[in-house]
Amino acid sequence: MSAGTTSAASHAAVRVTRRFGASAERVFDAWLDPGKASKWLFATGAGQMVSAEIDARVGGSFCFVDRRGGEDFVDVVHRGEYLEIDRPRRLVFTFFVETYSADVSRVIVEITPLGTGCELTLTHEKVPNDYASRTQAGWAGILDGLAGIVTPNERNHPCCT
Amino acid sequence: MRDAPPNLDSTLLALADPTRRAILQRLTRGETRVTELAEPFAISLNAVSKHIRMLERARLVRRRRAGREHFLSLDPAPLDEAAAWIDATRAFWNARLDALDAMLEAEDQAASRTRKRKGPSR
Repeated sequence: MSAGTTSAASHAAVRVTRRFGASAERVFDAWLDPGKASKWLFATGAGQMVSAEIDARVGGSFCFVDRRGGEDFVDVVHRGEYLEIDRPRRLVFTFFVETYSADVSRVIVEITPLGTGCELTLTHEKVPNDYASRTQAGWAGILDGLAGIVTPNERNHPCCT
Repeated sequence: MRDAPPNLDSTLLALADPTRRAILQRLTRGETRVTELAEPFAISLNAVSKHIRMLERARLVRRRRAGREHFLSLDPAPLDEAAAWIDATRAFWNARLDALDAMLEAEDQAASRTRKRKGPSR
């Protein structure tokens, strides 16, 4: 599915940042090398990655199958498409967990060299199900707003801090 | 990976405005008359009503009529669902990046063992 026309500003998004001792090149390659990616990308502790196919080009797709459970196992299939590949700085792809849901997410991976290591920022956006109703409203400050609202239960809503 | 709640986009769009956020903040104190709610804002009652209607469509706010009075109250469910989705998504990616870190570490250790076995190069 192609969602390249939309700005990052119009979707619900979550952002995570992490530093690595490894170089930007090594961290970038870990996403697209099937041997490496199968060890961590959609792998779960409880499951076993039985298949990881990667067509590492713009417009190429990937498919990871994580086998979970014992005798009555379930094969959880993760599919997606690469939208941007700019080694080692930027990787953008869509994905959905075919086994459970039609919800599509867009993931933006940005890697910045930092000394001998690097810093990775990952932005996960939920792609709206209904393109027609998508508005151009900016989300900037949304998550700040969410953190500032306390429900009558007095429970804090943690968010991207 | 948690599914996004069906109204996640309308919830976050509703939150994308300072007036609407202020209205919700005020409602955390309890049910409030619409007229009272509109008071502190510099904009017209009509403009406030538009914001309120949007919050109602997003199901963040409920309306109760008592005679000619309208009372609004906060429905925390969409906020809770949005927060839960945000938490679950962050947790998912933090776990993946932990695993990436562990894999890179393991590669480094394997490389270092190989170097030690081979000894210093001449």
